[in-house]
Amino acid sequence: MEKILEVKDLKVSFQTYGGQVQAVRGVSFDLHKGETLAIVGESGSGKSVTAQTLMKLIPMPPGKITGGQIMFNGEDIVKKTDKAMEKIRGKEMSMIFQDPMTSLNPTMKIGTQIMEGLIKHQKMAKADAKKRAIELLKLVGIPMPERRVNQYPHEFSGGMRQRAMIAIALAADPKLLIADEPTTALDVTIQAQILELMKALQGKLDTSIIFITHDLGVVANVADRVAVMYAGQIVEIGTVDEIFYDPRHPYTWGLLASMPSLENNDHDELAAIPGTPPDLTNPPVGDAFAARNKYALAIDYEEEPPMFQISETHFAKTWLLHPDAPNVEPPEAVQKRIRSLSSNFEKPVLVKEGK
Amino acid sequence: MAEKLLEIKNLKQHFNVGKPNMVKAVDGISFDIYKGETLGLVGESGCGKSTTGRSIIRLYDATDGQVNYDGVNVHGKKSAKDLKAFNRKMQMIFQDPYASLNPRMTVADIIAEGIDIHGLVKTKKERMERVYELLETVGLNKEHANRYPHEFSGGQRQRIGIARALAVDPEFIIADEPISALDVSIQAQVVNLMKKLQREKGLTYLFIAHDLSMVKYISDRIGVMYFGKLVELAPANELYNNPIHPYTQSLLSAIPLPDPESERTRQRKAYDPAVHQYSDDEQLEMREVSPGHFVYCSEKEFKQYSVK
Repeated sequence: MEKILEVKDLKVSFQTYGGQVQAVRGVSFDLHKGETLAIVGESGSGKSVTAQTLMKLIPMPPGKITGGQIMFNGEDIVKKTDKAMEKIRGKEMSMIFQDPMTSLNPTMKIGTQIMEGLIKHQKMAKADAKKRAIELLKLVGIPMPERRVNQYPHEFSGGMRQRAMIAIALAADPKLLIADEPTTALDVTIQAQILELMKALQGKLDTSIIFITHDLGVVANVADRVAVMYAGQIVEIGTVDEIFYDPRHPYTWGLLASMPSLENNDHDELAAIPGTPPDLTNPPVGDAFAARNKYALAIDYEEEPPMFQISETHFAKTWLLHPDAPNVEPPEAVQKRIRSLSSNFEKPVLVKEGK
Repeated sequence: MAEKLLEIKNLKQHFNVGKPNMVKAVDGISFDIYKGETLGLVGESGCGKSTTGRSIIRLYDATDGQVNYDGVNVHGKKSAKDLKAFNRKMQMIFQDPYASLNPRMTVADIIAEGIDIHGLVKTKKERMERVYELLETVGLNKEHANRYPHEFSGGQRQRIGIARALAVDPEFIIADEPISALDVSIQAQVVNLMKKLQREKGLTYLFIAHDLSMVKYISDRIGVMYFGKLVELAPANELYNNPIHPYTQSLLSAIPLPDPESERTRQRKAYDPAVHQYSDDEQLEMREVSPGHFVYCSEKEFKQYSVK
């Protein structure tokens, strides 16, 4: 499959009064055409910063890309000027934000906000742009688009606003759509509609999607592949089946075990992950997750674990996969999900380069 | 069945009464809460679940209906003294741990505010001891007492909110979306803490949320609200295994599960209020379909539901 995005060892930090916060610490992944990659992690894990860096939306300063490459369409985004980025944003790649209340302009009609990109990037005449705006509103399932196009955001409900956001993001047929928690602010029923809509549109337009969320249910619904982030690094990445049915990293175990399942009738304690994420102004030595990890080995406090490869598509960054590591049993809630996947290598392979 | 702690009868909460923009946020709901149980209340935003919680604790004055706490009407006339005594029994944990703690007060003052108002301690030393004890109960340290809310993470703030609610030894706690603003890994910590406190102190909870999987986990019984009405009320497992009202069915079918296989085959049901085809003369009310399982329906539907 054709790769449209390749991120290599990306590092981003922010200068604050308290010191330099290393928000993203060497993230690498790639994205194929028509694929959905979900990035999951807690707040502060660097998932949103990663996504915003792809579009260079982080304020610089205080933000700074301190290393790495973002290859998009064969060109390195990191080196591009603001002027050059303007040609890419909204046209080649666009973004759907979490909060449809605050990310639409309350003083502009919905139609005008959709037309903005069309007129700028595709040099459309105003009348044509309006026609296209109505088409787009129809595409995202807004009834009576001819009337809606002249309304203001406050006249739309939350779900409708998010649909309008998607219409704006899709206006110029982008190759890459970045959705940063697009359904977190919505009710489950509306969330289900929006997710169905995004999948249907992806099927039609063959867009690649990066989907950022902390809801594992949503991930299982939309993702082809999943990247789990912790403390500014990807700790595990694999296909959706590999992450849900054969997770290898203790943090992924922790996330899966802390979700109550609907079939579960017993009233045991939920397996919470104790403690809080580390302070990234001063990242801990060794494995950043060690302090919260009951499976932590002595080496975790000394040396950062390397990436191990479990299958063609599955990677995890934990010492537990090392041949010398003791055998550990994942938590009970995780053991219930585990299946043996035929695509796995016989043994995890150490990947030299951090992938 | 256990003793009734709270009896809510035909509670109505309307806003802007008499104006064209009148909102019937809560429109005649009735249910009971038993001592020591957790009742979950779920529904979409705007369905009136938070308003219900706030009316019960008298943050709003109810338009109509009764809330009887231990047989006494909460919304009845009360002297200042009675009201104060009542306020001690019922406490609330709010949704947003960032907005519900005063940023200019230390944690000790936030927690001890209720203690001061109700005059529960005599000396300063006693007051601090009580604060330390509460901090420990919710899993924080006593060093935290002199800090300000901004120094804490979301999960820690929610623990402070819980400590504040516990300070006056309440019997009944209304938790209005206490975990919605928290990360998944932290949500489990807070829910475990709430369950532990319930076991130790015999608390009764009204747990309001839209995250249905967490509600099922923590609740003994669950009520589903839709547009200001309670449409279904049943024991937690019964509601999940045998939802009867079409709205409950649609709500349950929309929950994303952390399991890729079931997600691929998910059949989502949409709810259209027109399916009921109610005629004007039909009496709509909560009817008991099977023991403990109530559904808001017409006489005709009731017969259908009971057959199943």
